[in-house]
Amino acid sequence: MQLRWIELRDFRNHGDTRVVVPDGLVVAVGPNGAGKTNLMEAMFFLCSLTSPRVSDNKPLVREGAAAGYVRGEVESLQGKVLIEVEIPGAGANRVQVNRSPVRRKRDVRRQARAVYFGPDDLDVVRGEPGQRRRFLDEALVALWPLKESLITAYDRTVRQRNRLLKDWEGKGAPAGLEAWDAELVENGCALTRARAEAATRLAPYAEEEFLHLVGYGLACKYLASVEGEPLEEAFRERLIARREDDLIRRTTLVGPHRDDLGLAVREMGARAFASHGEGWAAALCLRLGLAAAVAEELGEPPIVLLDDPFSALDPARQVQVAERLAGRGQVVVSVADESHVPKNADEIWEVAAGAVTIQGAS
Amino acid sequence: MYEGPIQDLIDELSRLPGIGPKSAQRLAFYLVKAPPDEAKRLAEAIVTAKERIFFCRECGNVAEGDLCRICRDESRDRTVLCVVEEPKDAATIERAAVIKGRYHVLGGAISPLDGVGPEDLRVQELLDRVERDGVTEVILATNPNLEGNATALYVAALLKPSGVRVTRLASGLPVGGDLEYADEVTLSQALEGRREM
Repeated sequence: MQLRWIELRDFRNHGDTRVVVPDGLVVAVGPNGAGKTNLMEAMFFLCSLTSPRVSDNKPLVREGAAAGYVRGEVESLQGKVLIEVEIPGAGANRVQVNRSPVRRKRDVRRQARAVYFGPDDLDVVRGEPGQRRRFLDEALVALWPLKESLITAYDRTVRQRNRLLKDWEGKGAPAGLEAWDAELVENGCALTRARAEAATRLAPYAEEEFLHLVGYGLACKYLASVEGEPLEEAFRERLIARREDDLIRRTTLVGPHRDDLGLAVREMGARAFASHGEGWAAALCLRLGLAAAVAEELGEPPIVLLDDPFSALDPARQVQVAERLAGRGQVVVSVADESHVPKNADEIWEVAAGAVTIQGAS
Repeated sequence: MYEGPIQDLIDELSRLPGIGPKSAQRLAFYLVKAPPDEAKRLAEAIVTAKERIFFCRECGNVAEGDLCRICRDESRDRTVLCVVEEPKDAATIERAAVIKGRYHVLGGAISPLDGVGPEDLRVQELLDRVERDGVTEVILATNPNLEGNATALYVAALLKPSGVRVTRLASGLPVGGDLEYADEVTLSQALEGRREM
């Protein structure tokens, strides 16, 4: 899959930027604050209609502008699609695919697939389990955009059940709890299975990337809150067993909202990663593993966007990563330092003050 | 923001469901600028509706008197009840003319996040009707979303001891729809409810 060109208007610090994006390894270089990350963010936004950095639209719109715009053309084995997004500072985006309005995010996501790595991904390795659940869900949507409804359905079920428990003042269990239990089991099992499948798909690729880059193994394993066969029965049993605790703590203690993704190097938990570089490598390899899993699922590589992937790696590893990025379809990488530009770049862009100049190959 | 009556009107309008402050402002200025009888007709329609429309004591649907049109109609089967969340859902099903029985309007769906519990719905009235009228089937036609499903599960569990047949509307692919655009949950439900051919 390839992004053919992209146009940004009033998006972050880009007043009016248009670039033709070639296939292969593209490197955007420029000082901090020049707009490299913003450009990568716009590319991801075009494919997913969400920012990898912020949950709110407001920061995406250039200060003083009423709305931001991103448009671009994505070519895949399915053909070419023109995607146009108008981002108002407040309210819903207006999205058109091939000049027809679309209502749902998935109408864009199933046609344009991108995987994004950024410095915040270090939190996936070093942060709380919630960060890893978020990664698992992002992987789920990247692999199968239509499965996003599983995440939202489960999330709402937990919030409903928790509110019921929180507001309950009386003795015993509140009326209707059984109905929410049944919903929790159904939606929770669906999400557990989907996350397990996503983890199973990406883990071998992530482990392989890590082994190649670091020289020893990374074990990546989905740790579900509820396990057992049949899963529905196991979930129901756990829920009944913990019901007293649920009522005392007034919250739901069992279910995929308490999942984790186990990451271990050299028999240690990844959160105990010895070095910053090692954690960074693991975070990068998870995204590269996801990209490989998406490529397998789609039959063609997704667009890969790596924001500042080299900064915490030593020079030898930078070269290794860059070499492995060759032949993986379209990969756009940003670096702050000229010396980090890989030798095998197919095209180099210089980004300064929200403008892009094409410099040619290295 | 504004003064006096115009702000009062905006405030009142913005309390309506689905109307935000901006829409309220637009509606308010439209009404102020409109010819006097247009605004008057609207005001009168609201007052008349409030005075003349009641909720049917049997089924909870909107009615002009004590009982709604369907509950007054003796040709409608008393032993089949179609349970819906809101009067508008009963109207939708009625337009399709697929139910020969009667309706029961719950007045919403269970949703702790919105502060709606089973005690806020007309559930006891439903149980009473089932017992009194010798109902043989209760069709649960609450919305096929999270809250509608939870409500259906809750009502079904309460009806179980009475031995009445309880059914739920099927979920799946829309007729005339395109398989390609169905989401995961819809597809899996359609698959679960597949039929022998």
